[in-house]
Amino acid sequence: MEENLNNNQVPQQPEPEKAAPPAVPVPVPAHSQTKLWLRAVAVLYALSMFAAFAVISKSDAARKLKPNEMDISKLTGLMQSKKDAVGVIPLYGVITQGNSSRSWEGGSQQIAKRIKLMAEKKDVKAILLDINTPGGSVGAVQEIYSAILRAKRETKKPFVARFGEVSASGGYYVAAACDVIYAQPGTITGSIGVIFSVSNFEGLMKKVGMKNETIKSGKFKDIGSPVRDMTAEEHKLLQGLIDDSYAQFVTAVAEGRQMPLEKVKTLADGRIYSGGQALKEGLIDKLGDLQDALDAAGELGKIGKNPRVVTTSDPLENLMSLMDSKLQLFGSKAVSEAMEIEPRLEYRWYGR
Amino acid sequence: MDYLNILEEVIERPEALAAAEAPAELGRAGLAGYALGTLGIFTFLRLQSAVPPGVMSFLMVLFFVLAGNLLLAAITHLFMDLTDARGSAARLFLAFGYTDYFFTLLVPAGFFVRLGYLGAFFSCCLCLAIVLYARIGLVRKLYPVSANKAALSVGVPYAGFFTLGMFAFVYGLAWLIWLLI
Repeated sequence: MEENLNNNQVPQQPEPEKAAPPAVPVPVPAHSQTKLWLRAVAVLYALSMFAAFAVISKSDAARKLKPNEMDISKLTGLMQSKKDAVGVIPLYGVITQGNSSRSWEGGSQQIAKRIKLMAEKKDVKAILLDINTPGGSVGAVQEIYSAILRAKRETKKPFVARFGEVSASGGYYVAAACDVIYAQPGTITGSIGVIFSVSNFEGLMKKVGMKNETIKSGKFKDIGSPVRDMTAEEHKLLQGLIDDSYAQFVTAVAEGRQMPLEKVKTLADGRIYSGGQALKEGLIDKLGDLQDALDAAGELGKIGKNPRVVTTSDPLENLMSLMDSKLQLFGSKAVSEAMEIEPRLEYRWYGR
Repeated sequence: MDYLNILEEVIERPEALAAAEAPAELGRAGLAGYALGTLGIFTFLRLQSAVPPGVMSFLMVLFFVLAGNLLLAAITHLFMDLTDARGSAARLFLAFGYTDYFFTLLVPAGFFVRLGYLGAFFSCCLCLAIVLYARIGLVRKLYPVSANKAALSVGVPYAGFFTLGMFAFVYGLAWLIWLLI
């Protein structure tokens, strides 16, 4: 059969159809691979987002349940507003009127302003005066005293005074306006009284050949002059002035401490007391440190012990104060103080 | 609109971002990068309980991301412009949006952080490094500059803000010490 096929005419076979191109495996383009990766990443991202939301919602729910697990003692803290606080106003150094252009010096106007602002704050429930001062000029001390009384009258907020190292004379005058006074056992306080001192440079001036001529409209116009001796009449007049200021001091203490005027007068001969002695005499209420005073203020303000503390610190004033204190190292303070020789009526203890 | 196609296109041909006529989809995908990246950051922060929940909270983070990137793109473009490298600021901003897709990596990283296998700060730094690397690459496509210059232009604003932050931190610390003493 095969031979036949060979010998004979080759049987006509149907012309083969045009061969289709061989099925070569098409390489996957890089684009498709990128897309595949992107899809995988998108799916993973969606899954991780789903898982993340599950975790977040679970932890949020756990956090919401947390307060229920708190012990009872902590519930008292939750009842009060987080904002409630005790305002602390420092009163350090000699109390003077101060220079209005140097607010960082903490003159009496600045202290009075701070008392007013602090008392007006809604979150401040009580105010603590952290006092460490030997007193100061009568007018300046009374400015702070009246600021406390006004704040108490207008806001009904309790004031607590805390004595540090020294709180004598004017420092005590200010504290007398407060509801409670705390002091350390060794605090120096008291010195209830008034002082007016004037230097007399007459002898020195004669020595250096310097003379002063004064033309005055009245005989008392140059009262307290440092260039001559004081006359008996002037002395009497000044004594009257001091007696009046003394009476104001004694009245303020009697009213503030709710003590009989006569008892205050027996205590107010200018002597100083330790914190322990002052407690015995009823000049202070309790012995304790700053934390004790804060606790007392917190309880008076009905926010409990260990209250949040708000201070009157102003960053700009602090910066200016720092710069000023650095300048003082160069002697500018000593020079300016030496220039201040004018006599002053003061509620001040000079033992410091 | 298929974002995956567009992303694929940008990954394969980043120069498409600098093309004379960029399609609107390209821009929208860039903005979507900011949204998804922010979602990644927000989820990471929520996992660490660093931000409060809610849409407003997310929008705040988105606002900060958009504002921050706008500023960074502006500074980078300004740097390029001042050094005679011409390019488009708007496209740079969109390109930064594409790099923000990498912030989605923060979501899985957040799980590792919670499990204690990774530090939160390390995760953020790692993610930021990836984003910065991607930004440098894209800047080179948008501006005719060398790799070093691209790295410098992207790094300068970050370095500036870091310096400012450090300065504020040191000042704050000194102020705090001074208040205490």
